[in-house]
Amino acid sequence: MSEQRRSVAIHVPVLTRVEGEGALDLRIDNGEIVQLRLRIFEPPRFFEKFLEGRSYTEIPDMVARICGICPVAYQATAAQALERLFGVELSPWARAMRRVFYCGEWIQSHSLHIHLLAAPDFFGCSSVIELARIAPEEVRRGLRIQALGNELMDLFGARSVHPVGIRVGGFHGAPSVERIGDIREKLRAALPEAEALIRWAAGIAVPQDDQAFVCVAMRHPLDYAIECGDIGASDGLHIGAAAYDEHFAERHEAHSTALFSSYRQQPYLVGPLARLNLNHARLPARIKALLAATGLVLPSRNLFHSLLARAVEILLALHEALRLLDGYRVPDSPWVPVTPRAGVAAGCTEAPRGLLWHRYEMDADGCVVSARIVPPTSQNQARIEEDLRRSLLDFGLDQPDEALRLHCEKVIRNYDPCISCATHFLRMTVERT
Amino acid sequence: MSGVRILGIGSPSGDDQAGWLVVDALLAGGMQAGEVLVIEKLDRPGAGLIGLLGGADRVILVDAMQSHGRPGRLARFDEEDWPRYGHGLSSHGFGVLAALTLARELGGLPSRLELYGIEIAAAHPGAAPGPEIQAAARQLAAIIAASLGG
Repeated sequence: MSEQRRSVAIHVPVLTRVEGEGALDLRIDNGEIVQLRLRIFEPPRFFEKFLEGRSYTEIPDMVARICGICPVAYQATAAQALERLFGVELSPWARAMRRVFYCGEWIQSHSLHIHLLAAPDFFGCSSVIELARIAPEEVRRGLRIQALGNELMDLFGARSVHPVGIRVGGFHGAPSVERIGDIREKLRAALPEAEALIRWAAGIAVPQDDQAFVCVAMRHPLDYAIECGDIGASDGLHIGAAAYDEHFAERHEAHSTALFSSYRQQPYLVGPLARLNLNHARLPARIKALLAATGLVLPSRNLFHSLLARAVEILLALHEALRLLDGYRVPDSPWVPVTPRAGVAAGCTEAPRGLLWHRYEMDADGCVVSARIVPPTSQNQARIEEDLRRSLLDFGLDQPDEALRLHCEKVIRNYDPCISCATHFLRMTVERT
Repeated sequence: MSGVRILGIGSPSGDDQAGWLVVDALLAGGMQAGEVLVIEKLDRPGAGLIGLLGGADRVILVDAMQSHGRPGRLARFDEEDWPRYGHGLSSHGFGVLAALTLARELGGLPSRLELYGIEIAAAHPGAAPGPEIQAAARQLAAIIAASLGG
């Protein structure tokens, strides 16, 4: 037994319950981790080449295809960057509805992750189907909330998967007052469900963990940043989207097709917990009070609080959608005219999984010369590896292979990696020599 | 009575349109959708399928299947035929059987559920469905129409 403990190699060939496919290789020699690699296979950056030569009018629809779970994030970020370059001032209606549209995506993506992907881990279940046997009401509630998020996306995007609503300058169309009235009723009815979800999420026993990491998220002087704001970090950094490149670096690692991002040569965290840590003061008072009642102390250094952070953001998104749809009127035009011009502009928004950054160089005809897209999962990739390394040491390297694999998967799922934006399942291989 | 719901599941990828073709064939054959008979095409609904199963007395689901059989082959799956699901689910791989299995756990299956599969060959994005798939869809539409007394 002691021989086995000293030298271990684990390869997880398939990580289930994440968005996409990836793999984990872990090798332990003489009780030390000598190799830990989260491998990502899918090459999403080809999208950047696809975009070259394309007109600005096509970009929002094209980038929506990068991800079936967070297409609004891609659309809204691209549109924001191009509108900045073209000097477009959105109408107040379009500005507000961009946030509402985005709220729909947060609601559906977060509810999906909580119930279908993450929660089974904390109940000893291998899937949501097993979870449904012991927590059927909670799973039903999760599916209802997810469906409502999809409905909100469908309202502005004509469909919830790869929606087509956003155009540079606003939206292609505006929902009718009647349809907005209908969705407002549903959003209002979902508020107590989302509050109950927070209480349930807060009651889930999670492993104790305390890790030091830098949180990076967008910040806004008034709102909990979603679709607009600057970029902030827990060490005090505060920059505009255009300065992202000066502070954050991307590098290739041979084992992954996604790029690894770093900030001051260190991994960093993006996503719901990073946002909540940085922006909890911007939550509406009612949500703050509810959160305080759960006993969660912020900022949290326990990544297992990510599930609760998502639940909090679901309630926030419901509140925001309701607030912004209050007094809804159909505008004279849902978009403003756009005149393209040559230049470079960057944009960023908070995708459900974290900061999403785009940069476009455009020619005078409004066609893409070059594009760069930095998704949240590649920003979190180095942090995931760092977390795994620390978590495994805490967990105990002499644990059985299966326990190590499950623990690795549980840690990785905290980050809700969208491996289709950056990979698919995690394939983990274990070797013991 | 909340009637019958016919759901054709597919995607715009070649033969994977099989479920949609059945809906097209039903409508072309004169079947009238309305309050008591809902006929819909769904594009990879994932877990969203569960919500569409409620509130109907009878649901007829049609989807493409790949089982190394002859393209165009029709199959009907009863509940005991559903493969056991429990591992490996992701939202990307959350298919019809996973949704039905979860719905069953949640007590959300309609009292009468019929699941039909049409064996397909290629599912290339943007491609047209093969003639054998189109013929099979028309055949299955006739079977469904007959079962509804149409």
